[in-house]
Amino acid sequence: MEKVTKETLRRVIAQLAAFPWRDEEVDELVAPRMGIITGFQDLLVDLETLRQRDLGATPPAQSPRKDPAPE
Amino acid sequence: MIPEDVAFLPIREIARHLAARDFTAVELVELYLERIARLNETAKAFITVTDATARERAARIDRGVADGATPAPLAGIPFAVKDLIDVAGVKTTAGSRVLADNVAQGNAFLVDRMLDAGAVVLGKANLHEFAYGATGENSVYGTAVNAYDPGRLAGGSSSGPAAAVAFGLVPAAFGTDTGGSTRAPAALCGLVGLKPTIGRISTSGVIPYCWSLDHIGLIARSVGDAALLLQTVAGHDPQDPGCAGEPNGDYTSRLDDGVSGLRVGVPHGFYFEHCDEEILAAAQAVLAHLEDLGATVVAVDLPSMEHARTVSLTLQMPEALSYHTRYLAERGALYGDDLRAGLALGQCLLAEHYVRARRMLTRYREETSDVLRKVDVIVTPATPTVAPPVGSTSVTTAGKTEAVGNAITRYTTFFNMSGHPAVTVPSGLHSTGLPMGVQVVGRNFDEATLLRVAAAIEAGDRFRVRPPRLDHCPRPG
Repeated sequence: MEKVTKETLRRVIAQLAAFPWRDEEVDELVAPRMGIITGFQDLLVDLETLRQRDLGATPPAQSPRKDPAPE
Repeated sequence: MIPEDVAFLPIREIARHLAARDFTAVELVELYLERIARLNETAKAFITVTDATARERAARIDRGVADGATPAPLAGIPFAVKDLIDVAGVKTTAGSRVLADNVAQGNAFLVDRMLDAGAVVLGKANLHEFAYGATGENSVYGTAVNAYDPGRLAGGSSSGPAAAVAFGLVPAAFGTDTGGSTRAPAALCGLVGLKPTIGRISTSGVIPYCWSLDHIGLIARSVGDAALLLQTVAGHDPQDPGCAGEPNGDYTSRLDDGVSGLRVGVPHGFYFEHCDEEILAAAQAVLAHLEDLGATVVAVDLPSMEHARTVSLTLQMPEALSYHTRYLAERGALYGDDLRAGLALGQCLLAEHYVRARRMLTRYREETSDVLRKVDVIVTPATPTVAPPVGSTSVTTAGKTEAVGNAITRYTTFFNMSGHPAVTVPSGLHSTGLPMGVQVVGRNFDEATLLRVAAAIEAGDRFRVRPPRLDHCPRPG
């Protein structure tokens, strides 16, 4: 998996979403400084690991059901 | 004149005084309003104080009592709500310049339930902008601080609700909890923080952050108060598609039944690693206390936390972006830089990433419910650290350095994904003078057992946390 670049994100945003994110916001994704986002690249790497995990037929989450009491 | 220490009494005791006519609802409201006027400059707990309507409502309650009417269960009890929660005719700013002029047209479901029970809204409490972040830092309305040390954070994102209760400005407050945003600040401020099962309390009239993880939370001075408040605001809301259809439980009558015969699960690894030693020791003391009371403590394995932050973030940012799209277009320049960057991240994730995160939620829910087939509750420390200093960006605990927000919510965030009910309860004072807490997690829709265990912990003398001294604050005139 190649490392994501600012240029890639700029093009994705411009061609798929068209919202005018500022340069500093895209910079934060490729070189985080604020501490809340731990790094978009790290996130993508972890998501790629998750993507390769076989979840079988597990569906997306629905509302929780009442749990039975302990056996 | 009501004694100052009434401001730190639990709701149930205040209600007894009101019923005995030791003081009136108006006198009680005036006590809190005077404290807000004197202490909010330091606490930064409130964004808006609804003093005029609170006085009017309290006077109406007093007139009713004088006329012989049977008072409602919470008649005259003041409360606050995080400023994401609508109160009709009052601004809901979400702690942001984006909604600085946003006046709510109606009440949130939970506000209506509280008003129906006779309670009095005192105001709208501070928060991290749009609940994005666990430090509670807010560049527009100031940062709510910790009542035990104003150089420390109250924690967030429900920073104002926690500070308001901890400074004795209100007996209880409602917040939201998407990753621990109610439980963690409650723990850092020596209070009880409850996040019931996802969907147990309606989110109608509450500005969303992430629908998949958002819960209503509440902050109270005692477990009994938390149970009383949950009893008041839980229940089905046909207007909220995310509200569960489960009937409301009885959360108050079995609180003192004890824990004899209950099985308490203690997870290995993650929840007891890289944690402050005194917080760990306090958690172990809580477990020993529960054993002394007749509970059985057993080791359990919770799902791996390896991808938990990734799953949470992958749900949060696209959902937040989806809500904020219209405001970004109209008033994008008014957002804080950190939130804008987070929303940009939401723009750049793939649909498959989001769906996979939703599927991981299913796994987390199933695996956690499997653990709770073997035990009645799970106990962990509430946070790995005491309240960090205001302005710090990272915290190092037992060799692990992480962003402050991640540290504050490290032990709480998973249970927003699993959806299980969880409560944080004080476990004593740290040698720094700051509060510590433990977290109790229960089975879906079994808040009654969860609160019973919390009440047993609270009953342990050594875990009680005295009210803050507030030496740093102005004294009464």
